[in-house]
Amino acid sequence: MVDFIRNLSPNRRLALVAVVLGLLAVVGPNPYRGAAASVNTKEAAIQMARGTDQVGVTELADWIVQGRADFRVVDLRPATAYAEYHIPPAENIPVAGLAESSLSRNEKVVLYAEDGARAAQAWMLLKARGYRGVYILRGGLEAWKDSVLFPRIPENATPAQTVEFAKMREVSRYFGGTPQAAPGDSAAAVPVAALPKLSMPVAKAAPAGAKKKKKEGC
Amino acid sequence: MMAPFFKYGMFGENLSLVVAFLVGIGFGFFLERAGFNSARKLAAQFYFTDLTVFKVMFTAIVTAMLGVYWLSALGVMDLSLVYLTPTFLVPQIIGGLVLGFGFVIGGYCPGTACVGVATGRVDAMVLLVGLFAGIIGFNEAYPLIAGFYNSTGYGQLTLPQVTGLPYGLLVFAVVLMALGGFAGAEWMEKRMAARKAEA
Repeated sequence: MVDFIRNLSPNRRLALVAVVLGLLAVVGPNPYRGAAASVNTKEAAIQMARGTDQVGVTELADWIVQGRADFRVVDLRPATAYAEYHIPPAENIPVAGLAESSLSRNEKVVLYAEDGARAAQAWMLLKARGYRGVYILRGGLEAWKDSVLFPRIPENATPAQTVEFAKMREVSRYFGGTPQAAPGDSAAAVPVAALPKLSMPVAKAAPAGAKKKKKEGC
Repeated sequence: MMAPFFKYGMFGENLSLVVAFLVGIGFGFFLERAGFNSARKLAAQFYFTDLTVFKVMFTAIVTAMLGVYWLSALGVMDLSLVYLTPTFLVPQIIGGLVLGFGFVIGGYCPGTACVGVATGRVDAMVLLVGLFAGIIGFNEAYPLIAGFYNSTGYGQLTLPQVTGLPYGLLVFAVVLMALGGFAGAEWMEKRMAARKAEA
């Protein structure tokens, strides 16, 4: 056997390697992984423990106000809920459609749904498929409504909280929200705040949503 | 580390141009080493006197196929992220024929023409001028032929999809096909050399 290989010309030796690799491929696995994926549980656990898997609503609001275009926001809710209201730059991708979406693995993606659970599920799915920059919007759309659209100043606010509220008032107006007055301040109380109309914020900020698909090939 | 590197964000758009440049230099270097800067050698394959082009190209195909298969099977590459050119059957057959005619007549294909130019071949330079004229002409005429250009589209097709056979079996079949092709090519070259000696 050894002598046989030794006597072969380099070309024939390479051909033999190709045949062996080809023959092994017959019993080898399918190279397409399909829907099965694996997740680095340690890495994911560390991210969860440190909270680096999440982005706060005010942080996201800041990004949008600044006009940053290095992230994409994904609304995981059904299309009807999306049509009713969504965070301005968000695109609607239901959880089942994540695998076929145009998100790329090196993009920063912020996921949100009504609350945290659905977004956390989607986060896990994307992590398992090798998406690196995936984040959950902390508290989901509920937190967005509470803190960004309808911020409320706490009773007996400290000076720092007052300053923060003044800033959030501006942010809230930017997104078409209604800042809520302090509970004791009856003059400006708005009992039920209406969700802002969609047209305003959408027109104002639409950074990464309509990214052009690049054509590849030779 | 996972491949494809670009899709996994190993480097950005700018560095990708540098990488493309280096890969292109490497490609040109090996084409030149295979002797593909000579129009005579390239055109000889169409007369079955020198099938180096066939052998080099099929070797590249088999090497790449085995590499892609095994890297994916071993989990260091995500094959679903590798771009596949979509199939437009009839336009691509016509396009292949046009390229083939150009190849026989001019003696170069686009890549080897660049290699020819780099090694100072005047015929390759003329061919490259024609190549760019063709590109401009195609683009100017595009509105007229867009309908045909986009006809008979089948999307991104692969052999396992079309045949329904297991991926690994097709890998082996292509390897055997290549080796059979190499043996046939050598036999043909010997026969043509013998015939030339007779004449």
